[in-house]
Amino acid sequence: MRAVRRPVELQMLLPLALLVPLGFAVTHIAETGTLDPGPMGLAIGFVAVMFGGHLALRLAGNRGDQLLLPAAAAIGAVGFVMLNRLPQSQLGMDLFGVEMGMATTQLLWFAVGITAMVAVAVLFRDDGILRHYKYTWALGGGLLLLLTFLFGREVNGARLWLYLGPIGFQPGEAIKIVLVVFIAGYLAEKRALLAGATTRVGPIRIPPLPYLLPMLAIFVMVMLVVVISRDLGTALLFLGIFLTMLFVATGRRSYVLMGILLFVGGAFVAYQLFGHVRVRVDNWIDPFVDPSGTGYQTVQALYAFGRGGLFGEGLGQGLPSISGRLPIPALPTDFIFAGIAEELGLLGATALLGLALVLVFRGLRTAMLARDDFSSMLAVGLTVSLGLQTLIIVAGNLKLVPLTGITFPFVSYGGSSLLASFVIVGLLLAVSHRTALDAVAEGRGP
Amino acid sequence: MTGEILRILLLVMQLGFLAVLYLLLFGFARSLLRDLRSAEMTQEASQSGIGRLAVVESPNDEPAAGHSIALGPINSIGRNVNSTVYVEDDFVSGSHAMLTFRGRSWYIEDLGSTNGTYVNGHRVERPVALSFGDELMIGRVRMRLER
Repeated sequence: MRAVRRPVELQMLLPLALLVPLGFAVTHIAETGTLDPGPMGLAIGFVAVMFGGHLALRLAGNRGDQLLLPAAAAIGAVGFVMLNRLPQSQLGMDLFGVEMGMATTQLLWFAVGITAMVAVAVLFRDDGILRHYKYTWALGGGLLLLLTFLFGREVNGARLWLYLGPIGFQPGEAIKIVLVVFIAGYLAEKRALLAGATTRVGPIRIPPLPYLLPMLAIFVMVMLVVVISRDLGTALLFLGIFLTMLFVATGRRSYVLMGILLFVGGAFVAYQLFGHVRVRVDNWIDPFVDPSGTGYQTVQALYAFGRGGLFGEGLGQGLPSISGRLPIPALPTDFIFAGIAEELGLLGATALLGLALVLVFRGLRTAMLARDDFSSMLAVGLTVSLGLQTLIIVAGNLKLVPLTGITFPFVSYGGSSLLASFVIVGLLLAVSHRTALDAVAEGRGP
Repeated sequence: MTGEILRILLLVMQLGFLAVLYLLLFGFARSLLRDLRSAEMTQEASQSGIGRLAVVESPNDEPAAGHSIALGPINSIGRNVNSTVYVEDDFVSGSHAMLTFRGRSWYIEDLGSTNGTYVNGHRVERPVALSFGDELMIGRVRMRLER
């Protein structure tokens, strides 16, 4: 544990010290119509948390990728400015008698997330804990899933929440990470078998089923529970992660093709079986059939994108709220991208996607450079989970795909999502730290 | 009048916010490009091979723990001094095992050694495929296959 310097990380975090207070000032000036920049406590708090994360990584001697944290922090900064601009009373937490607004609560979760990120980056420096106990991790994830299924609270037609006293969390986020760890461990062990062997039935080459079965069984079980609890966005995300990892491990297109066919079939069945899926799909095809009822949010989001234009309406100047309520009720969570696009315009929204791209790029680079199969597969799975989740929710906001209730990583309001996203960054830091240490041992690194 | 000033101020600040955001993105792009160029250079310099054996544990320090050995497509492992991977340990046979790269996988085969070859703690009976990250135990020497 020798402290290291992380100059690039520090350099890329510095602009946030200007960006976040500036965003807060624009918001306050626009809302009050005075020249007062307003209270800066939360903005300073956010910047302090990010720099604290940087310092902790330095002290812990992490030699991992230096662009991961700044990219995540920059994405988080845009989201945080947006959340601060929304009516604070709409969401938030009542913790031990202290009422906190939306932005305050989110800042608290940012602090928890960064702490978790550093802890994970330090604890999992040796991959053994994750790799050798992959079945234990899978079992833990399964138990969590079962608990949610039995005791979870239902919100908007999907059972996703577990409550521990006053604090609720979404176990789906934790299960996502555990699932990636398990699949990575399994594929790393069996990769050579899966890529090499084929069974021939007449002219058709089928994959070596006996080797795939244990993993398929666990995956199908997870998918079943997720679908039964009607959390279809998460189901889509899990399937995407699974197929990508399988493709990366084996290099076989036939797996992906089979997966897509499976998805089309599953989607058709879900459409027939579940009422709220039908509503979502019908809204996607034409939200204007019922613009003040079921299609309301989608229609309002489309208007928001339109009003935003190229430069945006300006922070604090868009989103006409009707008697203190937002035009889009789910704005802080599912539709935050629409809000950002309205107030920061096409330019702001594109910049946000660019930052997400940087994060995905660095994650895949971490996977490519990793020295062993498990680390590689782990980094691929984690990166894809962040990237795909962003893609699904952004496309849902834009009415490119049916809207599914998943969060925008680092941006949406919500503790579970934020915590899980930072844990993912922590794991990526741990993997790239190991790679860097090996390079040092071979005399190739600094 | 103040309303007019306020509007201009807000517009300037809004554009300033977007400018900082793009400056940040530009900084990231520059870092990525610099990294890609240096990656190309190190790749040209080292011409990274098909795999390496990292020595995890070695009681006699031959090969020394912490070292990593570059591998060719066919590698003999044993106490015979002509072995590609020469291992000095009383529990290792002269021709102990053969490590080969075929197609896109590594394989290990035990050559009838006295004390056997172990992959992740399991004794090797037939040639088996390895993954990167697998641990080989040859005598008392522990080595890990790496990219």
